[in-house]
Amino acid sequence: MIYKLSHNTSYNYESDVTFCHNIAILKPKSMMGQSVLEYKLEVSPLPTEISEKIDFFGNTITRFSIQKSHKELSVKATSKILRNFSLQPDIFNSIEGKSITLESAIEALEIISPEILEVKQFLLDSILISKITEDIRAYAKVSYKANRSVFEASFELMQRIYTDFKFDSKFSNVATPLSEVMKAKKGVCQDFAQIAIACVRSVGLPARYVSGYIETMPPPGKEKLIGSDASHAWFSVYIPKFGWVDFDPTNNQIPKDQHITVSYGRDYYDVAPLKGVIYSNGENRMKVSVDIRPDTES
Amino acid sequence: MTVNTNILFQNYFSDVKNYDEVINSNMIINSNWENLLDNLTNIGIDQLKLKQNEINWLMAENGVTYNVYNDPKGLNRPWNLNIVPFLIHENEWSNIKKGIEQRAELLNLVLKDIYGKRELISKGIVPHEVIFAHQGFLRQCDQIQYKTSKHLLIYSADLARGPDGRMWVVNDRTQAPSGMGYALENRYSISRVIPDIFKNINVKQAAGYFYDFNQMLVESAPQNQHDPNIIILTPGPHNETYFEHAYLSTYLGYPLVHGNDLVVRNKKVYIKSLKGLKQVDVILRRVDDAYMDPLELREDSYLGVVGLLDAVREQNVTVVNPIGSGILENSGLIPFMNHICRYFFNEDLILPQIASWWCGQEKERNFVLNNLTQLVVKRIDRSNRESIYFCEFLTHSQLEELKKDIQSYPYSYVAQEKISFSTAPDFINGQLEPRKVTCRTFAIAKQNSYSVMPGGLVRVAPEREDLYVSNQRGGISKDFWIISDEEQTNIQNYTWDNSHRISIADINDLPSQTAENLFWSGRYLGRSLVTARFLRMALNRMSELQFNEQQNTSDNLQYIYQALTNITSTFPGFVGKGKELTLNNPLKEICSLILEEKRFGTFAQALNSFNNSYYSLRNLWSKDMWRVFDSIQKTWLKFKEENNYSIAELIKLLDKIITRLIAFMGLIEESILVEQGLLLYFIGLQTEQAMMNIEKCRALLVFNHEEHLQYQILESLLTSHESLNIYRYSYRSYLSVENVIKLILLDEKFPKSLTYQLNRIQKDIDNLPHSNTQDNLSEPQQYIYKAHKIISETTINSLLELNPDGSLRQNLDDVLSILSDLLHETSLSISNTYFNHSHQQTQLVNQDFSS
Repeated sequence: MIYKLSHNTSYNYESDVTFCHNIAILKPKSMMGQSVLEYKLEVSPLPTEISEKIDFFGNTITRFSIQKSHKELSVKATSKILRNFSLQPDIFNSIEGKSITLESAIEALEIISPEILEVKQFLLDSILISKITEDIRAYAKVSYKANRSVFEASFELMQRIYTDFKFDSKFSNVATPLSEVMKAKKGVCQDFAQIAIACVRSVGLPARYVSGYIETMPPPGKEKLIGSDASHAWFSVYIPKFGWVDFDPTNNQIPKDQHITVSYGRDYYDVAPLKGVIYSNGENRMKVSVDIRPDTES
Repeated sequence: MTVNTNILFQNYFSDVKNYDEVINSNMIINSNWENLLDNLTNIGIDQLKLKQNEINWLMAENGVTYNVYNDPKGLNRPWNLNIVPFLIHENEWSNIKKGIEQRAELLNLVLKDIYGKRELISKGIVPHEVIFAHQGFLRQCDQIQYKTSKHLLIYSADLARGPDGRMWVVNDRTQAPSGMGYALENRYSISRVIPDIFKNINVKQAAGYFYDFNQMLVESAPQNQHDPNIIILTPGPHNETYFEHAYLSTYLGYPLVHGNDLVVRNKKVYIKSLKGLKQVDVILRRVDDAYMDPLELREDSYLGVVGLLDAVREQNVTVVNPIGSGILENSGLIPFMNHICRYFFNEDLILPQIASWWCGQEKERNFVLNNLTQLVVKRIDRSNRESIYFCEFLTHSQLEELKKDIQSYPYSYVAQEKISFSTAPDFINGQLEPRKVTCRTFAIAKQNSYSVMPGGLVRVAPEREDLYVSNQRGGISKDFWIISDEEQTNIQNYTWDNSHRISIADINDLPSQTAENLFWSGRYLGRSLVTARFLRMALNRMSELQFNEQQNTSDNLQYIYQALTNITSTFPGFVGKGKELTLNNPLKEICSLILEEKRFGTFAQALNSFNNSYYSLRNLWSKDMWRVFDSIQKTWLKFKEENNYSIAELIKLLDKIITRLIAFMGLIEESILVEQGLLLYFIGLQTEQAMMNIEKCRALLVFNHEEHLQYQILESLLTSHESLNIYRYSYRSYLSVENVIKLILLDEKFPKSLTYQLNRIQKDIDNLPHSNTQDNLSEPQQYIYKAHKIISETTINSLLELNPDGSLRQNLDDVLSILSDLLHETSLSISNTYFNHSHQQTQLVNQDFSS
């Protein structure tokens, strides 16, 4: 499947911005089962400088600065992505991966090897997922048992979050602590992913945050509206002897061809799509629109 | 020396409980201390008391302070220096020095490895959690390359003598170690106040160390090494060691700047100066890692520079120490240091460390949990006193809570053996008392080694039985001597000639924030002085009225009261709604105009605003200035404490403060060079005085009065203007409106006349850097030229012209009003042209998730 993807962010400033520095993490990953055929980042006004590099987690980050006075900033990322899940290792086909228990997984993590060292950083507290509370630990223990398959437990965790938590875009924001999301059992994809990560880490397994997109379907019989999509997020669990397995608790499914991955991090903080510092005296307002649809031309 | 009945030591022996520096368990005196103890005995208790007082006085007078956050005593607590130094003999020191060098070299390699290959982790020498779970590990700094051969450029170790008699490492300081400036000032004060104490003792000097320090800064420049632009970055006057930042800035000769003085463009760092942007090569920083770049690190930081990290990455600027070096302030490393030392150097650590158990290991964790009450527990990434648990003092529930935390986050905790460190004599209440001490030592990177400061900063536990010594709570310090058997040169290089010192004495390079603070210092000082003099005049008139009940005296007062409200812009006051009430009890309003700090326009508010800009400029002020400034504050505080607000007392207060303000202003003119920014101060001062001059004339000269009242008003105006004598000298006549206007508005030679002031402002503005070509005036020039033109074209007759009904001089008011507007425009355009801080740094809203 080939997708055409566009992610537009625009900022409107109350008063003139004389200068800004920004960092964008918008370029989809090239990885097994996902190739970036085309990618373009358009910034307006034209940046004075712009550069690309790979960050600590292997994501592509773009830095740019604008040195002339402006009242509006627009950042458009457009890409063409070839997605083919069948090229990715599928946990359903791995008997060893499906059956490894929590106990043996934790034991496997004791070994010092480059891969294990790399994944173990996703076991530790991170900026937005820290001081994991008792209720989260208890919630995790319902699914994770020493002798139970880690995959099975993680799948169940995903299902439980899907069932127990209510989608509510008004409840939380970037700053809402995890403990409040857990209490209210409300939030958005980012909250659900982070709750799941906290649960997985609390039982001693590495879990990471995946930032990306999902193709959404219009209601039956209706045309899909342009820009009706949004950035999406889910979580990934490291299963020793197999590797990372993604779970989408917002949609209760294992991400396949409808999911496009942009970046990995310990939590949202590591992979915010766009951040920046501006020099201005007024407020700023942001508008985002994401559009993802099959490429019908090719 | 034998133990005699020297009264100085009366209780010392019985007080010694632990290991002591001076006497051992057999009550034998350490021979290294003999000469010092002799000197102390010869100086005698009475002299020591006097000299200790003198030191305290000198510290306060010189403004040596240490700010304590959230301290009820407010900013600027005086630094405490005890008269009795701490000493170590060179023979012992040489080994300690080797130990510091070894540890600095080692930590340098650890730092390179952590942000490089991470072999210490992959080879299993350091558990990954010790690095990855430490908040000081900045992933943003991973794989950054530096041009300097060493990464750790400044290292500081806190040492204390353990029970085995050796010096142990207690703490590593690797971000922005403080204390060097205090150490320098301690030595200076001791040698100035009590030179006799050095008799027969050869004390090593730190001049060579500071030479190396400067050399390191120069050589660390990634480019431009023959003439690098080096600056010192401070978090500002509220930081606890701000005194030291300013001190080092003066001592080393590098400008002290704030984050918002700097800007990153095209991956290079620039300082905003009056002339424009100038590239910075080296930043000696006193800001912690996480606050250095709000784009990539802590977003809420206003202390750093947006985009700095990328400039570092591109090797366009060197930050000393590199951002990310906070990872080494890590008690989790301690249990592994010996292994690390064997790994890199194949040798053992020279300096012992406190026995430590990292709870991330099961065996160690179990030991800690089973022996908790005998241990001291720390978080690996926090070394402040609040995060250290002295478990023997914890209650049962606190212990349980700590146990739970350790079990949840074992890798974040380290437990250490409880150690009693050695004591040394402190002069307290006329006697020597044993107090626990720790020594902060310093090392500076050289090409192939580290240069260690001979001595350092010794800190003393504030209470006799205190376990823990810290600057964070204030505390006492000591001069730290390394003594030698060989004679030392006693020349103290306090103001050394810095051969690499780059001349920044150019108005073009003045940081724009310093320029702004100087400008506002001038304006606030001008405002304080003019307001105080006017208030004093009003109070004097009130006091006369008490003895003289004439009708027109009180009419005159009415006008003076109204003028007060007008010139201070403190409406409604004596002018607006409710004025009858205010006029019934004028003293109440006047008290408020003098004393209310929160009320805009009052004398207190102007003085307070001046205080704020004063602190931000400390590195420019001389010691005499500090002394005068301090006495203004003391006079003020004492008055408020005494709470006697009678007319006579208020006059006395204003008298005292006015004299000191004038002394201070005189000192400013002789202590700061025009190129250093005095020009900006003058512009601010003259602008404010001219504006106030205009307001006074508008309030008192526009209305026409009958002769007798007119006379009194003119007399009041001239008195408040300190110009009555000059008037009499110049005109030798009865006071007339005509002559008064001539003198205080139109005279070209009299420094207090408006014409003179405008002329002066114009000349000073002409001397500011201008980017425009000569025939093209800058914006501030345009306004001040216009003002100057108006006043020079004004004739006395046009100003005296009365309205047809004879009640007022409308023309005078109009001219003054236009000039007032032009001065405001001038001031505003100076801000816009030269200061450019009008734009705040803001984070973009960042809420891009919703599905």
